Amino acid sequence: MDFTLYIKESFTGSLNSVITMAKIIIPLMVVMEILKDSNVLGKLSKKLSPIAKFLKISNEAIFPLVIGLIFGLSYGAGVIIESAEEYNIGKKDLYTLMIFLIACHAVIEDTLLFVVVGANLWFLLTIRLVVAVIITRLASRVLNKLDFKDKIDTI
Amino acid sequence: MKRAGVDHMILDSGKRGFKKGLVTLWKLTKIVVPVYFFVNLLKFSGALDTISAWFEPTMRLLGLPGEASLVLVLGNCINLYAGIGAIVSLSLTIKQITILAVMLSFSHSLFLESAVAKRTGVSLIMVVLVRLSLAILSGLVLNLVL
Repeated sequence: MDFTLYIKESFTGSLNSVITMAKIIIPLMVVMEILKDSNVLGKLSKKLSPIAKFLKISNEAIFPLVIGLIFGLSYGAGVIIESAEEYNIGKKDLYTLMIFLIACHAVIEDTLLFVVVGANLWFLLTIRLVVAVIITRLASRVLNKLDFKDKIDTI
Repeated sequence: MKRAGVDHMILDSGKRGFKKGLVTLWKLTKIVVPVYFFVNLLKFSGALDTISAWFEPTMRLLGLPGEASLVLVLGNCINLYAGIGAIVSLSLTIKQITILAVMLSFSHSLFLESAVAKRTGVSLIMVVLVRLSLAILSGLVLNLVL
């Protein structure tokens, strides 16, 4: 095995990958931080009640959904834990919401990372959103049949 | 007055975003670089050929070469950055990268994210099962469709 070639190839190859990712990640984080602070998303989620109806979840569950969808599972889960205490999100809503979020979260960052290495942006984004919506609707139908109405007591 | 306050707030958020970007980039570098060196070592030493041959039959169902198994293992056990580190160190076609990207977007960082999901009160087994089945199904379907 050619050791110098190995070191040289690994060094330049990994450095190039890091530089390409920097070009995406730094501007992205700036935009996301401004979005998060400007309270645009809070206002936006009030206007999204048709989506809540479509996914068969309550209006209270929309804000954690939007946050998780854009910023990632940890942020989404944080907001869920908070709003579960504040608004008493039901167990059915919690499951429906989490099924959506585990299939589809941090869509901007995750998608762009794959675009950097050569995947198609719209293809990836559409597949993820469509599949998440389908399984969420399915799950919500199943949960309704089970009459899963009890509230969460402790988190 | 109000206008200036808003501008100031945006500037502050922007600065914080830039810092967060650097922190994320550093976190990413710490993973992508070692993974790149590791996968490249496997490649140069010939171990990758052995691993590839081993996984070839299973991976063929997903339209992927044997060595792409590394991407799936690293992405699911560590995180997306590790998976991406493996993608950039292998030579894959656009179709293969797309399949891997879709599979990994459904299912990644299983250890860490399942722990986060569990904290909201949903079942752990449900989380892992939903994610893995989505990943495998999407791989099988995309291989046939693309």
